[in-house]
Amino acid sequence: MLESYLPILVFLVIAGFAGLAPLVAGLVLAPRRPDENKLSPYECGFEAFEDSRMKFDVRYYLVAILFIIFDLEIAFLFPWAVVLDQVGLFGFVAMAIFVGILLIGFLYEWKKGALEWE
Amino acid sequence: MAEFANLVWIVAKIVALVVPLFIAVAYMTYAERRVIGWIQWRKGPNRVGIYGLLQPIADACKLLMKEVVIPQNANRFLFLLAPLFSIIPALAAWAVLPLGDGLVVADIDAGLLYVLAMTSMGVYGVIVAGWASNSKYALIGAMRAGAQVVSYEIAMGFALVGVLMAAGSLNMSEIVHAQQGPFWNWFWLPLLPLFIVYWVSGVAETNRLPFDVAEGESEIVAGFHVEYSGMAFAIFFLAEYANMILIAGLATILFLGGWYSPFHGIGYLGPIFDLVPGTLWFCLKAGFFLFGYFWFRGTFPRYRYDQIMRLGWKVLIPVTVVWLVVESVFILTGFGPWF
Amino acid sequence: MIELLLFYVFAAVLLFAATMVITAKNPVHSALFLVLAFFNSAALWLMAEAEFLGIALVLVYVGAVMVLFLFVVMMLDINLAPMREGFARYLPIGALVGCVMVVEMALVVGSKDVNLIHGGPVTSAAEGVGMSNTKALGSVLYTVYAYPFEIASVVLLVAIVAAIMLTHRRRPGTKQQNIDRQVRVRKEQRLRIVTMAPEKRK
Repeated sequence: MLESYLPILVFLVIAGFAGLAPLVAGLVLAPRRPDENKLSPYECGFEAFEDSRMKFDVRYYLVAILFIIFDLEIAFLFPWAVVLDQVGLFGFVAMAIFVGILLIGFLYEWKKGALEWE
Repeated sequence: MAEFANLVWIVAKIVALVVPLFIAVAYMTYAERRVIGWIQWRKGPNRVGIYGLLQPIADACKLLMKEVVIPQNANRFLFLLAPLFSIIPALAAWAVLPLGDGLVVADIDAGLLYVLAMTSMGVYGVIVAGWASNSKYALIGAMRAGAQVVSYEIAMGFALVGVLMAAGSLNMSEIVHAQQGPFWNWFWLPLLPLFIVYWVSGVAETNRLPFDVAEGESEIVAGFHVEYSGMAFAIFFLAEYANMILIAGLATILFLGGWYSPFHGIGYLGPIFDLVPGTLWFCLKAGFFLFGYFWFRGTFPRYRYDQIMRLGWKVLIPVTVVWLVVESVFILTGFGPWF
Repeated sequence: MIELLLFYVFAAVLLFAATMVITAKNPVHSALFLVLAFFNSAALWLMAEAEFLGIALVLVYVGAVMVLFLFVVMMLDINLAPMREGFARYLPIGALVGCVMVVEMALVVGSKDVNLIHGGPVTSAAEGVGMSNTKALGSVLYTVYAYPFEIASVVLLVAIVAAIMLTHRRRPGTKQQNIDRQVRVRKEQRLRIVTMAPEKRK
């Protein structure tokens, strides 16, 4: 099994080089003439008047949390999908209960308006 | 010694995959501009070389000679690392995609899981770039892109579960083998709703029109890569297009029977069409999806952000859940020629 | 040989990354080092033939949990100086928790049921019957371990409800599109026809 993962490790290294090489080439070959206006953050021609790292709507965090939960659900569904013909009706019912319980959560967030963006 | 030869062979296979991929990316930018030009009743690039065919090379040279500006307030290290974060997963996911029968770099058992893990990493490039730039537009673009990509990843994951149920394996080659036969044996037909959900969320995952609020050039200029220039920008561009080809290739493998010809196994027609190499069929099918990308871009106006989130959570996810239930009933009762 | 070498490389990088998580000054750097740590532990799990778990670790922790961490760390203005001060103050509690965890792990590894030290490399059951790792996991998870599996869904449900309760509040005065209402609108609600007497210019 491990032999089949060696190409992936090599691939990751090569992909890293494939990204790094143009970046280094760009840094070496291209001219560098920095000045203050060029280096200031882009703000439609204005001077930046406050730090750009600001507080964000809590909704973004909520989406990320809900994503984790459903991502976990997908991780549980993957092995189930592969063995469905082996585990048969029992496995189907087990997964139906699992998804059913999470569906309650999904309906709850729907009704609470957690999925609304205004 | 044998190990070393093995390693060289692996590297050769990877190079043989990555180099055509880069060329494909370069010519996709050309094809995109020509197609959009055609849709908009104008010519598109036609000056460099015959029919403008050398345009991508000219573009690459231009970007190479442009200064890589690093803003003074930026976090320099992460600013330069972010393009790598987006290109590495975009390329590495290709390791498990079979381009023909047995034509795959790493034939692992958990192929589809690996692809999903890699595509979920793509969001790091966007978030880190947005934060490291220390610019408001970049940060807003990064937050939007982050929330959008994760939302559509759920719908995409559910759609993939449907494919797994039908194929009974996570291995990409076996998924294609499970679809052996003419085009009505492919999974797009029994899994039509999942196919559509997959394709829509694939477009949203790559932040392409009509879901490109992360870039939104008319409101937040260019989103997360507003501060990037020269080669650093080119790498983001490369990663975006490599991801588009990846989504197209995955759609081909999962729903359109990978390398099989549309008439595989029908009477006299089958052997004639089988003369065309499988890899070419794969490229043709993937090309169909890539054309779809350009077509969407030429046709649809941009969605509003709340509309995007509503489509992802309230339309696509319920559709997939319902179809998964229908499909498992199909499988348990042995319905049709597919299960 | 190569395998052993790879193991030590991954293990060394893992330890380095884990150390950097708690010593890095910038919280975003800490979070990214944690990503690196997860990656290396996924590689180690893969080397222990836990194929599904290794990739699921990347999928769930790197692909989802750390994205949330980064969101939180990046967007809250965390002031660095007070956090540095806290390091010494929380050290005793941290050390205590660390000790408890070490003892617990020693108990698990040392127990007779888990024969890690003397058992040599664990040959997985999947290897024996020529099944893929994922299938082997699936064939027991939804049958033998169905009950803990259902409990997991209840835990996730609690997480959904708690997350919404803690973070979601509707602010008054936000403008929202209500498609139902837009579609259901009648002509009478929007249009008022006023009959006026014609005026004559004098």
